[in-house]
Amino acid sequence: MLRYIIRRVLWAILVLLIVVLITYMIFFLLPSGDPAVRLAGKNQTPQLLEQIRQQFGLNHPWYIQYLLFLKHAVLGDQYGWPGLGLSFISKVPLKGIIFSRIAVTAQLAIGAAIVWLLVGISVGILSALRPHTVGDRTAMGLAVLAISMPVFFLGPLALYIFWFKLGWLPGTGYYALGQYGFGTWFSHWILPWVVLAVLYAAFYARLSRSNLMETMSEDYIRTARAKGLTEKRVVLKHGLRAGLTPIVTVFGLDLAALLGGAIITESIFNLPGIGQLTVQAVGGQDLNTIAVITLVAATFVVFANLVVDILYAFLDPRVRFD
Amino acid sequence: MPEPLLEVKDLRVQFPTDDGVVKAVDGLSFTMAAGETLGIVGESGSGKSVSFLTVMGLINKKSAIIEGEVLFQGQDLVQMSNDELREIRGPKIAMIFQDPMTSLHPFYKVGDQISEMILAHEDISKKEAFNRSVEMLKRVNIPQPEERAKQFPHEFSGGMRQRAMIAMALSLNPDLLIADEPTTALDVTVQAQILDLIDRLQSEFNTAVALITHDLGVVAEHCDHIQVMYAGKIVEEGTADDIYYRPMMPYTWGLLRSLPRLGHDTDRLTPIAGAPPSLIFLPDGCSFSPRCPYVFDECRVIEPDLLPIDGHHAARCLLSLEDRERIVAQEILATP
Amino acid sequence: MRKRWVTGIAMLACMAVVAAACSSNSSSGSSGGPSGTPQKGGTYRTATQTLSNTSNFDPTGEYYGYAWAIFQNMLIRGLYNYNHVPGDEGNTPQPDLVTDSKVSDDGLTYSFTIRDDVKWGPPLDRTVTTGDIEYAFERINNSNLAAYYGNYYCGVIKGMTCSETTNHPVSGIDVPDDTHITFHLESPTGDFLYRLAMPATYPQPKEVAGCFDSAGGYGSDLVSSGAYMYYGADKLDISGGCKTLKPVAGINPDKGMTIVRNPNFDPSTEDPTMFSNYLDGLQVEINSNVDDIFQKIQNGDLDGSFADTPPPTVEQQYATDPNLQQYIHSDPGDRTWYITMNLLAPPFDDPHVRKAVQWVVDKAALVKGYGGSLHADPATTIDPPSVLPATANYNPYPSDGFAGDVTQAQNEMKQSVYDTNQDGMCDAPECKFVLLANNTSPWTNMNPILQQDLAKIGLTAQLQEVKPDVVNSQTVTVDKLIPMSFGQGWAKDFGSPYGFDFFVFNGTTISCTGSYDQGLLGMTEDQAKECGVEDAYNKAIQFYPDHKLPSIDDQMAKCVQEEGDAQQQCYADMDKVIMEEGMTWVPWSWGKNLIITSPSVTQYVYDQNAGDPAWSHIAVSNTATPENVA
Repeated sequence: MLRYIIRRVLWAILVLLIVVLITYMIFFLLPSGDPAVRLAGKNQTPQLLEQIRQQFGLNHPWYIQYLLFLKHAVLGDQYGWPGLGLSFISKVPLKGIIFSRIAVTAQLAIGAAIVWLLVGISVGILSALRPHTVGDRTAMGLAVLAISMPVFFLGPLALYIFWFKLGWLPGTGYYALGQYGFGTWFSHWILPWVVLAVLYAAFYARLSRSNLMETMSEDYIRTARAKGLTEKRVVLKHGLRAGLTPIVTVFGLDLAALLGGAIITESIFNLPGIGQLTVQAVGGQDLNTIAVITLVAATFVVFANLVVDILYAFLDPRVRFD
Repeated sequence: MPEPLLEVKDLRVQFPTDDGVVKAVDGLSFTMAAGETLGIVGESGSGKSVSFLTVMGLINKKSAIIEGEVLFQGQDLVQMSNDELREIRGPKIAMIFQDPMTSLHPFYKVGDQISEMILAHEDISKKEAFNRSVEMLKRVNIPQPEERAKQFPHEFSGGMRQRAMIAMALSLNPDLLIADEPTTALDVTVQAQILDLIDRLQSEFNTAVALITHDLGVVAEHCDHIQVMYAGKIVEEGTADDIYYRPMMPYTWGLLRSLPRLGHDTDRLTPIAGAPPSLIFLPDGCSFSPRCPYVFDECRVIEPDLLPIDGHHAARCLLSLEDRERIVAQEILATP
Repeated sequence: MRKRWVTGIAMLACMAVVAAACSSNSSSGSSGGPSGTPQKGGTYRTATQTLSNTSNFDPTGEYYGYAWAIFQNMLIRGLYNYNHVPGDEGNTPQPDLVTDSKVSDDGLTYSFTIRDDVKWGPPLDRTVTTGDIEYAFERINNSNLAAYYGNYYCGVIKGMTCSETTNHPVSGIDVPDDTHITFHLESPTGDFLYRLAMPATYPQPKEVAGCFDSAGGYGSDLVSSGAYMYYGADKLDISGGCKTLKPVAGINPDKGMTIVRNPNFDPSTEDPTMFSNYLDGLQVEINSNVDDIFQKIQNGDLDGSFADTPPPTVEQQYATDPNLQQYIHSDPGDRTWYITMNLLAPPFDDPHVRKAVQWVVDKAALVKGYGGSLHADPATTIDPPSVLPATANYNPYPSDGFAGDVTQAQNEMKQSVYDTNQDGMCDAPECKFVLLANNTSPWTNMNPILQQDLAKIGLTAQLQEVKPDVVNSQTVTVDKLIPMSFGQGWAKDFGSPYGFDFFVFNGTTISCTGSYDQGLLGMTEDQAKECGVEDAYNKAIQFYPDHKLPSIDDQMAKCVQEEGDAQQQCYADMDKVIMEEGMTWVPWSWGKNLIITSPSVTQYVYDQNAGDPAWSHIAVSNTATPENVA
C-alpha cells in the first residue's frame, strides 16, 4: 500500500509540472500582445518598459520564466515561502492572498457540498425506494429542472427575489466569521450555498436513485430479505452501503474541482475566492496569478483523485486486491 | 398421514405488464412432507423459481397478483403480513440461490453475514453468533473456518461460496430449505460435492429440501419426488423411478433425450425443438402443443388435466396411456 | 451591518409600494435631497469591480486617475494641488503647501517656501518638511521603484536620470532648511507647476518610505499628510524601525480600502476652497458583480458608484426617469477617442486621403453607437476644451450635426494619387486595407459605421476585430505599419496640453516596440532605419515637398518654454498643424465619466483633474461610521 501511495504521489507531481508548463505555453503562444506593454500604460519610455520587465520577470524567454516560477514556488522568493510572486494586476504578493482566497472558496465548496449531499442523497434514496410513484416522478422532474438552471441564472434570480424584493436575506459579499459573528457570516452564505448546491443536488439525487435502484435489484438484497432481516436493515445496511459507495468517487472529484474555484458563483455573489481571482487574472492577462491558480486547482484535483482511490479501497473490499 | 409440511393449493402468480399479463404460475398444487426432498425441474420461464419465491414471500406484492393458498405448517403464507413472514424466513424456511457470488454481499465478511441472520432471530451476543457461524462453516466442510469467517466473499472459491450460503441457510435449523439452482453456476465436479452436502445435512438437520433445477440429471440421485413444470404448471410428477423409467409426458421425454449420456455418441445433443411459450399469450389447449412431436388436433383445443397414473405418478397429456407406453418402450428407452 | 440591513428593508418596503413615488418622496426636500445643505459626517460607501493599479497605491509609481483622486483629495499634500472642481478651474494647479514661490527670469530655477504647520499622520509625529519633498524625488529617480511618470522629471530637473538604484540626494534640488526648496532645471519648462501637482512629487517620510526598496512597497504603509488616513494607520508600530512595521489594515488592492479622518490633522492648515472635508470616511469595496453594485446603490446599501460604467439597463432607467435624472452625473473625462492613420502606410501616406477621411467621418453616429451624450460629445480637435480652452471653438472640418461632409471629402479625395479617375472615390489597389478594431461591445456596433463612412470615398476597410489589448499592442509596434485603427482613447496626465500631446505626436518618443505616436508623426530617417521600415518611409516622404514627414517636435519644444496664455496659444497653433497637416488622428469624441449616486449624497462635486468624484467636497446624509472593508 505504501509503495502504491508513493508511486501515485510521484505521478501527481509530474502531472502538476506539466499542467503549469502547458499554462505558460498557452499564455505565450496566444496572440495577446506583450504583457509589459500592457502594464506600462500610456507613457512608455523604453526605460520604464525595461523596469517593468524586470519587476515581473518578463525579460526572460517563456521557458525560463516557467523554470523560475517553479524555482520560486519551491524555494520561496522575496515575499516569503512559497514564492508565488506578484499579481500583475494588483501588484499584491500572491502568497498573501492565495490562502485567504482558498479559505473562502473552501467555505463555499464545503457548505454547498453538505447541502447537496443531504438534499440530493435523501431525495435519491426516497425516490429509489418508492419508484414510479407520484413523489418519485415529481422529485426527478424537479431534478431535471434544477439541472437546467445554471448558476448564472439562478444566482441573480435568487438575489433579486430574496434580497432585493423581499429583503429576507442579505446581499452579496463575504463576511468573515471572526470579524462579523456567526449570524452575519451564516446569513450571507445561505444564498451562495443553496444556489451552488442546486445543480449538484439534482445530479446526486438522480445518481443515488439510479445506483440504489440498481443495488436493490441485486441478488444479495434478495438474500438479505430471505434471511428474514427487517426491511429497514436491508435498505440501510445492505442497499445503501453498496449503492452509495460509487458516489464517494464522484463526490471527491466534484469537490476538488470546486476547490479550484466556483467561478460563476463567486463572481455573482462577490465572494473573494479563487474563482473570482481567476476571472480577474484571465481578463487582465495576469500570467503569474494564472499560473498560481492553475497549480492550486490542479493540486486539489490530483490530490483528490488519490484520496478517493484510497478511500474506495477501504470501502469496497474487492478493490483491495489490486 | 401426518399433516404435510407445505401444501400449495392452486397457486396463481400473475404479473401485469405493459404488454399484457404474465402468467408465471398458472394453477400449481403440490405438497411436501417433513424431511422430504422434492425436485422441481423445468426450463426458465416454467414458473419453478417464482413459485418458491412466492412461498418465501419474496415476490413484491405490489407488482404481482397472487391467488391460491400456500399452507406451511397449517398457516397460509399468502395472507401473512411482512412482519409475520419475516419471522418465518430463516428459522422455518430458508432459501439459497443460484449464484453465490452475487447472492452474498461483497462488502461484508462471510462470518458476519451468517451472524447477522442468527442475530436477527435470536437474542444472543455477537460473539456467540459468530461462534455459531464458524461452527456452521465447519459443518459444511470449509477448512480453517475461523479464518474463513473473517474473509470476504470474493476471497472464496465458487464451491466454497455455495457451501457458505448453505451454512447460512441452515444456521437456524429451518424445517424447509429451498435450493434454487444451487449448482448451476458451479463446475461439474463441485456440483456433485454440493449435492452430496445437501443430502448429508438434510438428514443431519432433518430438513425438507426443495431442489429446483433445469437439469434432470441432478435430481435423479437426490430426490424422493420430482415435479416437472412447464409454462407455469406441473406437467408430470412422480418418484425418480417413475420419471426416469416410466415417463408419461412428451416434454419429459424431450428432457430425457436431451441429457448427454456416457458411452453414447455425444457429437450432437438432441434438444427439444422450438422455444418456451410466451407466458402472456399462452397457446390454446395444451401449452406444449406447439413443440410436441406427437401432437394431434385435440391438443390444440383441449387443455389436458393432470391425471394420476398410479398412487404416486401423474401426467398431463391427451395421448392415451397405451400410446405413451408404446412410445416410451420403443423410442425413449431404446434410444442409443 | 445589521443596521444597514434594517435600513435596507425599510427602503425596500418603500420601493415595493411604488418605485417612482419612493424616489420622489426622498428627493422633495427632507434631509436626503441633493438640494439640502451639506453636513459633516457620514461615510461614502461604494464598490468597484477591480482596484487595478500600477504600483500598489505607492504614489511614486501609481498612475491611475482614481488613485490620484484619493491621494489628492484626502490623503497627501504637496507643493501644488487642485481645487477639485469641474471645468477649467479644476484643471489649474493651485498652491497647497506653498506659501511663497519665485521663478528665475531664465525659467531654470524654481524656489518655494512651504508651511511649517502641516503634520504627518500616524504612525509619525512630526511636521512635513522640504526634506520630505526632496525624498520623494529621490524615489522617482530610483529605477527599482518604477516611477511611471519619471519622464516628467528625469532629464528635466538637473541630476535626475531615473536610472539610479538607491535613494540618494538629487543634485539639482536644494534644501537649505525644513521650509525652503529650490529646483534647478536643465531647460525652461513652462508647465513645471503642473508636474509639481502630481502625487509622485508629494512629500514622503524617509523613516517609513525608506523601508521599501521595490516598486509599490510603500503603498501598503502610505503615511497621511492630509485630513484623512487609511483605517488602522493609528495602530501601526514603527518604534522598532522598518522591522516592526506591518501593512496598514485599511488598504488591500485585492479587497478594497477604507479611509478615515486623520487625528493629527489641523483644519487651519487647509484652504477650504480646496478641501471641504465633509465625509467622515470613504469605503471602497471590491465587488465582482457590476449589476450587484448598482442594485445596492438603488436600495441604499451603497451611496454611489466609484469607477464602473453602469450597465445599460441601469443607465437607461436613470436617464429616462425624471425622478432619477438628478442622480446620474456625466462630466468631461478629458479623454479623446480617436481613429489612427499611419503616415507610412498607403493609402494614408497621401495627405489628401487623410484629409478626406477627416471630412467623411460621421462623428454623431459614432457617438450615438458609443452610448450617446451621457458617454461622449463629438470632438472637433485633439485636446478636450477643459485641457486646452484655446481650441474650444476650433473646428477645422465642420459639418451639419457632426455627421460628416461627403462632398468636401470627395473633393479632397479627387486630389489624391489613389483616385486615378478623380471621381472622388479611391480606386487604386491601395484603397483596400485592414482596419484594426475592438471586438468588444459597444465597438462591434460602431465598427460597421466607420466602414460605411470610409466606403463613401471609395476606401474599402477590411475589418479585423481583435481584443482591445491587441489593437493597442499592434499599433504601438512600428514595423506592423497598421494603416488604420479604431477604438483607442487617450486621456490627459494633467491639464496642460503638453501631457496630452507629447507622447502621441512628438517624433522623439517613437520607439520600435512601444510607440504611442502610432501615426509616426515626426519620424526621422534614422528611426525608420532602426525599426526596419525604411522602404515605407522613403515612399511616404515623396508626398512632401521637403521630403520629410510632418513634425511638430520643434514647435512643441518652443511651447514647453512658454507660460500662461502665450503657452496656450502656442499649443493651439501646434494642434492646428496636427489637425490640418499631420492628421495622424481623427479625433471623433471627447469621453465623459459617469457616476451614479443615491439620494443620500447631499452634495456631489466633480474633480476635473482627477476625472472622479471630488472626495474633499462630497457630502452624504447617512450617519454611518466607516468600516474596514480591506
